[in-house]
Amino acid sequence: MRLQPSASIGGRLIRSLVLWSVIWCAALGGALWMIVQEEVAELLDDSLQSAAEGLIGPLVQSRTEHVDPPVPPLASSTSGRFVWQLVSHQGPAHVVSSARSAPVSPLHDIPKPGFSNVPGWRVYGQATAQDGQMVYVAQTTEERVEAATEIALAALLVGAPMTLFAVLWLRSRVHRELQPLRDLSQRLARYDPMQPGATLGTAEREELRPVHAAIDALAGRLTRRLADERAFTSHAAHALRTPLAGIDAQLAVALREANAATRPRLQRVRTAAERLQRVVVALLAMFRSGAEVQRSEINVAALAARLPVEGLVIEAEGTTPLVADADLITAAVLNLMDNAQRHGARTVTFSTPGANVLQVHDDGPGVDSARRRELQAAIDAQDYDGRTGLGLMLADLVARAHGGGLSLPEQASGFAAELNLGSR
Amino acid sequence: MRLLLIEDDELLGSGLRDFLRVDGHVVEWARQLGEIDAYRGEPFDAYLLDWQLPDGSGLEWLSARRERGDVTPVLMLTARDLLEDRLRGLDSGADDYIVKPFAPEEMVARVRAICRRRAGSAGARVRVGAVEVDLISRCAWLNSERTELTSREWSVLEALMLRFGRIVSKAELERLVLGFESELASNAIEVHVSSLRRKLGRELVETVRGMGYRVGGPA
Repeated sequence: MRLQPSASIGGRLIRSLVLWSVIWCAALGGALWMIVQEEVAELLDDSLQSAAEGLIGPLVQSRTEHVDPPVPPLASSTSGRFVWQLVSHQGPAHVVSSARSAPVSPLHDIPKPGFSNVPGWRVYGQATAQDGQMVYVAQTTEERVEAATEIALAALLVGAPMTLFAVLWLRSRVHRELQPLRDLSQRLARYDPMQPGATLGTAEREELRPVHAAIDALAGRLTRRLADERAFTSHAAHALRTPLAGIDAQLAVALREANAATRPRLQRVRTAAERLQRVVVALLAMFRSGAEVQRSEINVAALAARLPVEGLVIEAEGTTPLVADADLITAAVLNLMDNAQRHGARTVTFSTPGANVLQVHDDGPGVDSARRRELQAAIDAQDYDGRTGLGLMLADLVARAHGGGLSLPEQASGFAAELNLGSR
Repeated sequence: MRLLLIEDDELLGSGLRDFLRVDGHVVEWARQLGEIDAYRGEPFDAYLLDWQLPDGSGLEWLSARRERGDVTPVLMLTARDLLEDRLRGLDSGADDYIVKPFAPEEMVARVRAICRRRAGSAGARVRVGAVEVDLISRCAWLNSERTELTSREWSVLEALMLRFGRIVSKAELERLVLGFESELASNAIEVHVSSLRRKLGRELVETVRGMGYRVGGPA
């Protein structure tokens, strides 16, 4: 089963525990009810039998001495609970004598010793010494049910608060046992494996020990990988940057020494070499592994003044300072300006339409709405390959590295790219 | 200016050397730290120093130089662009730091700037009496009238201006202006100083007898 991303272990555990507590209580209650029924019935039957055995002697004696029907000896303790009948089965069954609240007609038409049920009554019959006479002691079914219900209710009254207490205790226990997981999240948020000797610390629960070990091992692998990549990037940077600087220096000398006819050609080569430099520098800046964004305050007008691109007029109108990584912003902006130049723009304007947002607008031919939406979709999906050029890709990567993104707002004329550089 | 370029890359080193020479500077080029010994005791206006060299770290060499009291301005040339690298470079005694690839024009401007700062002048224009000199555009004016100087005359003037108020011996001035060529032309400096005095007035360059020359001496 696939979990919802927001599913909570604590919530799920608590729901399960409550559900199982309710099921357990229902099952326990059912079992208790059956036991109570059984045991109470047995106890009441014992009482019924004892009452009958106690009654039979005085009744027989009173009949032998031809006195009035006796006051049953157990009448005072059992009145309201038990009734009795002395029934003669000589001929048609008839009641010889009975308790005042007993039924008028015999409980049984034929002699029925032992326990039996008649509608509304539980009866115990015992034969007397006189032929054909039976003593029946009976109790109403209603009274027996009432007794059983009272006992079950008493059990419920004790069990329900206990169940509630158990649920609350379990809930608190689950909350407490999940605390180490919450602590682990906080530790991870503060964890910087790039710091020398950094570890996640001792696990607070046995079950979390392998998690801690796995995270530390992963961090170790990542740190080594980053160190390798950083070393590689440093070597690659040296291997690329130095020859590029050499090419430019050689071209600068050649330009000074060249005759007038050769100079324009050399100048074009130098311009192309400078463009190559910008791309390489931007790529190196973007992919220097492990390097974090180094934010500082950037004066946009000063940035614009430092970015001469042959044949482009650069303007910065009413800008507010940005707080961003100057190297990355320079790399992104240079490539956007390169784009503008290649697409025939003459002027590039820098503006800051929002907090920490830089807009680079050029007066080139721009793109139609459909193409603009297509480019924006590619940028949003980070699906650059074959869908955007290097300039937009770099600008987006730079904006994302700052926690923002790149958007291409609709323009009346020209083309604009807006770098949202995240919070300051 | 006389500059010591310490760079192992042949393409970049030769390009910078030639660019600086075309720009009128005297350049000595060492391809590794071991070659620098050949220039021991030689005066330089600045060092252009690569960080990673085949026989060691330029940064460590610089730290050692600073510990020995060498205050020659240093511009670090390096492929390392991280902030921490730039900070390390500057903290080790570099006066400025330029990340490869760079335009040689920018490098020269930075060298001029660190040399001016070391000489105690932040601005490019310096006035000495009736003479005004622009160290960037390499122009000189006497009583507001522009005076044309030859490349060598300018080099002599620049070397003295960058050591404003200090006596510069003839031998040092020769090395700064002519490099190792000075061994071939022993009276060249007197000729250029004389020419400067003719064009900019006798008061500009003072001769301190038995010691050397000075611009901006005590009033």
